[in-house]
Amino acid sequence: MSIEIRELTHIYMPGTPFETRALDNVSLTIHDGDFVGVIGHTGSGKSTLIAHLNALIRPEVGHVVVGGVDVGEKGQSLIEIRREVGLVFQYPEYQLFEETVEKDVGFGPRNLGLDEEAVKTRVREALSQVGMGADALDKSPFELSGGQKRRVAIAGVLAMKPGTLVLDEPTAGLDPAGREELLALIQGIHKSGVTVVMVTHSMDDAARLCNRLIVLNHGRVAFDAAPGEVFRHAEELRQMGLDVPECVKLVQALKARGMDLGDGLYRMEDVRAAIERKVGKC
Amino acid sequence: MLKNITIGQYFPGNSFVHRLDPRTKLLWTVGLIVAVFLSGGFAGFAVIFGYVLLAARMSKIHPRFLIRGLRPVLYIVAFTFLLNIFFQGEGAPLFSWKFITVTDMGLRRAAFLAVRLVLLITASQLLTLTTSAISLTDGMESLMRPLTRLRFPAHEIAMMMSIALRFIPTLMEEADKIMKAQMARGADFESGNLFRRAKAMVPLLVPLFVSAFRRADELAMAMEARCYHGGEGRTRLRQLRYGKNDLCAALSLLALVAVIALFNALGVF
Repeated sequence: MSIEIRELTHIYMPGTPFETRALDNVSLTIHDGDFVGVIGHTGSGKSTLIAHLNALIRPEVGHVVVGGVDVGEKGQSLIEIRREVGLVFQYPEYQLFEETVEKDVGFGPRNLGLDEEAVKTRVREALSQVGMGADALDKSPFELSGGQKRRVAIAGVLAMKPGTLVLDEPTAGLDPAGREELLALIQGIHKSGVTVVMVTHSMDDAARLCNRLIVLNHGRVAFDAAPGEVFRHAEELRQMGLDVPECVKLVQALKARGMDLGDGLYRMEDVRAAIERKVGKC
Repeated sequence: MLKNITIGQYFPGNSFVHRLDPRTKLLWTVGLIVAVFLSGGFAGFAVIFGYVLLAARMSKIHPRFLIRGLRPVLYIVAFTFLLNIFFQGEGAPLFSWKFITVTDMGLRRAAFLAVRLVLLITASQLLTLTTSAISLTDGMESLMRPLTRLRFPAHEIAMMMSIALRFIPTLMEEADKIMKAQMARGADFESGNLFRRAKAMVPLLVPLFVSAFRRADELAMAMEARCYHGGEGRTRLRQLRYGKNDLCAALSLLALVAVIALFNALGVF
């Protein structure tokens, strides 16, 4: 189900000295099957935007329409919207609370009112989706390693079988191996048919995984296009406190020295292939 | 839900009241509380109310915030009011229904206590709204220092207080975050009976406790890394100094207490 955002504005603590305009007239649509990257400097409104996607913040000005249902309308079943749009917060491992991994992952499905048998199957499915075996089921979530905790927390959201998975900086604080593993998992989840929206600070990750990038700047949508298009605007991105992927920098540096690889390259593999075409395989 | 708590919240500003020495403000609040308790009737309350209103104006804090801060304690005020109306037997009955009798004395007393409560809360709110937690504890430590001779751990208590105060907003933010995360998993914090609601708090409280302990651990480490070794021989960044404004505030308060005492002596109620 697609998510449509129309002219959304959100102001925190209006009428006080702490007033901040987190979102300013944002309009965008997330289509089925998208892998959307949301990038923007700290405080650009990314977190506020994603909290609107599953009605954790109700739209005050503007509309959020999830699968044809207006979230802002009174009397909407929030649980259905929250099931449809699964939201994984930053450092999701801090939300673990149950005695065992099985119970914790089962928290979401149980809230959906499923019977114990269905909860059990879903927990096992979700855990295998994040690459955790059945041996983790009876462990306490607090005795797992950092990366495992995070995967269990993500499984807790996947167990609700969301059509869209929204992740807020899923790789923050992980070591390089853990990052790679998690990104591969997310890619796998996307391949299985789930729409993914991922907030990230890593331009390289955004370039590698996403088919579309939304760049936020001071609560407004600065760019909303394919990565190749967005990374053409290196100078503007830098002014927003952002950057371009390393390989785009490489392409630009080579161009400055007389080797033109062409425009719109932003993936490491593509850049490598283009260089090989120019200079021959080494 | 967690954002509407103003009690104990500092409201930044640079007014006359904001600039006062925290010790002055602390003693001023204590003095004002004494005045409220000294006052034997509504005439005295009217004077105190005027004085508090003037102080609130000088603090440039919007009255809305003072009123908002009263909201959580409104129930207590209402409760005391009702209790005193119904359980005061003396005086001429105004109204009577079955076993409930409302007397003029009862009504008077109820109103008296309610006004007293509101004044007390407003006065202490004025202190917390205009004084940051850090300067508040600085002031307390300084005021408690004479007690260290009696082995009273003034520094430690002030440090614990400032840490506690410092972490209220942090933990509140954290609670908000965890709540949202659990709501994203379908948790429902707002419906059901009391027992259900209490049970629904578990997914919030467990992670909150875990994170509070983690933070305490990190803070202890960070303090030790900066060679914290207690209050002995510690110098301060902000030296507290009394100024002319403090004298004015103190004199005005003394005048207020004198007026109340005069009212009492003359029998003006």
